[in-house]
Amino acid sequence: MKISINWIKEWVDLDGISPEEIVERFNLSTAEIEGVEYRGANVSGVVVGKIIELSDIEGSKNHLLKVDVGDEKLQIVCGAPNARVGLVTCVARVGANVQGFKITEAKRNGISSFGMCCGADELGIGSDTTGIIELPEEYESKLGTDIKTLFPIDDVVFEIDNKSLTNRPDLWGHYGMARELACIFKRELKPIEALDLSAFDGLKKVDIKVESKGCQRYSAMTAENITVKKSPIPMAIRLCYCGMRDINLLADITNYVMLEVGQPMHAFDGDKVKEIVVKDAGADETILTLEGENHEIPEGSVVIANGERVPVAIAGVKGGMLSGITDETTSVLFESATFESSTIRKASRTIGLITDASQRYEKSLDPEMTALALGRILKVLKDIDSGVVVTSAFSDCYPFHYETKKITVTPEFISSRVGTEISSDTIVETLERLGFGVSVEGANINIVVPSWRGTKDVSMREDIVEEVARIYGYDNIQPKPFEFPSVPAVQMASHTNEYAVKHLLSTKYDMNELHSYVWNYEAFNKEHKIETASYLALKDSSNAGQSGLRSELAPTLLKFFHENKNSFDRVGIYEIGRVVAGLDENGLAIEKKKLSIVLGDTNKTEEELFFEMKAIVLDLAKNVIGVDVDLAACESFPSFIHPRAVGLLKSREASYGYVGILHPTVSKSLDKKYKVAVAEIDFGAIANARVFAVKAKQVSKFQNVLIDFTFMVPENMKYAEFLSMLSKCRSKILRGYSYVTEFKSAEMVGMKALTVQAELASFDHTLSSDEIETFRTDVIATMLKNKINLKA
Amino acid sequence: MRVYYVKIHILLEAKIFMKEKINAVLDEALPKINGADSLETLEALRIEFMGKKGKVTELMPELKNVPNEQKREMGIALNALKTQISDALEERKVALSEEAVKREIESMPEVDFSRPVNLKTGSMHPRSIIQKQVEDIFISMGFIIEDGNEVETEYNNFDAVNVPATHPARDAQDTFWLENGQVLKTQTSAAQNRILRTYGPKCKVLFPGRCFRNEALDASHENTFFQIEGVVVDENVSVSNLIYFMKEMLKGVFKKDLNVRLRPGFFPFTEPSFELDATCPFCGGRGCGTCKNSGWLELCPCGMIHPNVLREAGVDPEKYNGFAFGLGFDRLVMIRTGLSDIRYLNSGNIKVLEQFGVRM
Repeated sequence: MKISINWIKEWVDLDGISPEEIVERFNLSTAEIEGVEYRGANVSGVVVGKIIELSDIEGSKNHLLKVDVGDEKLQIVCGAPNARVGLVTCVARVGANVQGFKITEAKRNGISSFGMCCGADELGIGSDTTGIIELPEEYESKLGTDIKTLFPIDDVVFEIDNKSLTNRPDLWGHYGMARELACIFKRELKPIEALDLSAFDGLKKVDIKVESKGCQRYSAMTAENITVKKSPIPMAIRLCYCGMRDINLLADITNYVMLEVGQPMHAFDGDKVKEIVVKDAGADETILTLEGENHEIPEGSVVIANGERVPVAIAGVKGGMLSGITDETTSVLFESATFESSTIRKASRTIGLITDASQRYEKSLDPEMTALALGRILKVLKDIDSGVVVTSAFSDCYPFHYETKKITVTPEFISSRVGTEISSDTIVETLERLGFGVSVEGANINIVVPSWRGTKDVSMREDIVEEVARIYGYDNIQPKPFEFPSVPAVQMASHTNEYAVKHLLSTKYDMNELHSYVWNYEAFNKEHKIETASYLALKDSSNAGQSGLRSELAPTLLKFFHENKNSFDRVGIYEIGRVVAGLDENGLAIEKKKLSIVLGDTNKTEEELFFEMKAIVLDLAKNVIGVDVDLAACESFPSFIHPRAVGLLKSREASYGYVGILHPTVSKSLDKKYKVAVAEIDFGAIANARVFAVKAKQVSKFQNVLIDFTFMVPENMKYAEFLSMLSKCRSKILRGYSYVTEFKSAEMVGMKALTVQAELASFDHTLSSDEIETFRTDVIATMLKNKINLKA
Repeated sequence: MRVYYVKIHILLEAKIFMKEKINAVLDEALPKINGADSLETLEALRIEFMGKKGKVTELMPELKNVPNEQKREMGIALNALKTQISDALEERKVALSEEAVKREIESMPEVDFSRPVNLKTGSMHPRSIIQKQVEDIFISMGFIIEDGNEVETEYNNFDAVNVPATHPARDAQDTFWLENGQVLKTQTSAAQNRILRTYGPKCKVLFPGRCFRNEALDASHENTFFQIEGVVVDENVSVSNLIYFMKEMLKGVFKKDLNVRLRPGFFPFTEPSFELDATCPFCGGRGCGTCKNSGWLELCPCGMIHPNVLREAGVDPEKYNGFAFGLGFDRLVMIRTGLSDIRYLNSGNIKVLEQFGVRM
């Protein structure tokens, strides 16, 4: 929103305060000023002139003018269609600055031209682009006078961030801003001039019926004998500086008063609208807007209708064409109304029209303003067009009143919340300047919240803390340390584990952590035959272009694998992220935090990758988190996993996920050269699982002995089965077995050679060769019982 | 007398003979030892002279032929011979070893230290790295680090944190609503109610989390982004406490003493609400691209927790109060990494993300 300092100065004397200071203090006390424009700074040397001669230039639309600028009569070549003899206009003389454009003596159509007749848009003081400015005749006496001395062209305009005014409906007009600045700089605030409406009590009232709950108050008045059609230049300049176009007087003054008091207004042609019905729109109602577009009115939004119940405006959003002001209009019905904020927002969003009015209504306007706005608009109108006659009493239908809010605080409360001593006098003065009703009663300060702050913004003690503190100045509050009892902040295991696991994967296993989205990428999954469920979808289509939420993490990582694979010959990626794994009995999301790892390599076999992944997963589970897990037979796993290369990650208590190789179908679809291993682990579960305690085991002081055995075993025998056979051979000197290797050659039909290593040691003596030999023969004998021979 | 003389003469002869032999051995040994050109030759010489049947060893029995009064002298001479030869052997051995090492060194081609090596360290996501650093600062200030769901109930996301039923944030234009009436959490505050119920009324908790807004993506807008939020609740917490805390905390995060200023803000969760600016840590307040030449960086919205939020979490606002703050974490990550486009963070692009290794 744009705020003109000239306008503010009508009510507050800001002399001696620089624009920079205003920006600084307003930023720190009220809202963010995003920009400052010094309007008129690049306009100079433009004077009042009168066209006294005009002749056509052959072969051109331009005219040759003689323009009287008081001390001189200038020859000017001008192309304006409205140039005519007798017209008083604005003339930029040679040497003038017209918004950065220097006027020089120039040849146009081969004729010397000594200046330029200016249009309002060229001077940056209006929106009219159709021709040069037409000054009223009385300015004929001012020929040669610099227009800057006649019109308020020099101004400082602040651009205020609309978002930072969301909670301040009172600041959506210059008068509210003036009140705020008067308080910040401790200056006097003058009252806003308005007609006393009670003077018209004797006149008949406009017939207003409010049938819609969305209308909080509807006030209206009528006037006639309107003769002036165009807004005076100073008014047009203000509208222009605040970002609005000047259209015609009646439309302009509704905008003008809205920019002053923050109350949106509407002017209906008084001959076309005589009664008002405020109702909810039914199905299939339409309206022709001022722009000539036919708009469907969303069912249920509030409309203003005439006596025949035909919509003449969409409340708070847009006026209709049929009831609008035209050049023929001589009588007017002014609407000054308040509508419920969310109803207006909904209508405005549905129609796709955000207007100056709708923006204000969305902020919850003060219904008390409607009367002031009518008194003000009639005053402004009569000042411009003195023959105007008010033809109705103040007509008002006021079904919704906000409750007057009363708050009691003590200076101690304010001071303790701010953390700095603030006196009762400071509190009282600040609140009074902001328009609050204040009375001191003993230690208490009793406060009545003004209607313009009471629609949603101020309702409790903490709001008063804010009012006092922000005007006092947050920069005047001294930082103060505070004491807390020293108690250890014991962190959750799941959280500390997260970093430790990430660190392990990224350092020891050369993997890259990626972050993704929660979406279930249906198209990608379908293309690569990845079957995965989605239990929850977005209600409406969205900007994300996706609708379902993922139920597992691996498919997302496979997508990332697919996007990255061509840049590398090995891709190791992982993510700890959340999925919706299902819905509970109440239909609410069952959310799980998962860890998924994808390891693809172009130089490794599926088997190598499987065991690499197994090592990674067991390492992080056992050595980092401390959960005793291993892989076991896996009954249920995703269909994109190879059914013969998959293992269930489980401990004695629970299972946490799987390790597997991609199903050949999916694997080939993703890439022909890569082999890919996948793991998906319920990280929330494993990171919070019962951890095995690390207890130091006794280590023998005597030299240990390592001996290898290579047995011929059936090729489908699991190591676990083999180990349990081996373990039948008990020995006091056996410290344990470890897996060494296995291999298979063509001549080993149905068999494979499996090598394990036994570690032998005694706690009280050095082993003798006899002891070792005895152990060796015992092991071989034990395995023979299972028909397993040493490899020859 | 003569006999005596003869005896003397013999003894004298024995003495001279012994002395000559010693000198002869020495004269033979030293040039040979010093001329030895390998450790093997040297070992052969050691055996030749000092071995069991060596020339020095063989002189030992002859000592008994030396007259008694001269035995001592000859003994000393013999020992001196032994020492001299073994010293010479040792000296030569050291010299030969050094030469051998030198030859070994010279026989090896110089290593090309400029040849690249594979560091074999992958990367953590820059968010993880910076989040850990930020969390460590809060942990050092006594905070518990919490976590929250991404799919939240409307109650937790909006009602419990005082977002009015008609607030625009609830519109589908801004929020991802789910079929079952839940939402993808729009801000980390969605976890406030649960956290205050779990840890309140006296607590210091930090809860980072992934949030979602129904926005079109561009270089500075994401629909999936990270925030870090914190709450502090106790008795008699004031705005001046909040300013103090924020200042100290930012000092830790940016490792610099930054000036901070509060401006009025408006959030439903807090009252009063503030926007906190800090002197731009990159230009020190002089104005640069990062701070859009303002000298200030808008870093975190914060405020005193709204009494309705406390009440809703079962904390008595008459007795306790506190403050809450949020860090636009992704912005911090972009500033720290120099990534110019927020979309990189969720892109899964290894080439972009691996640059950061596991440190920052």
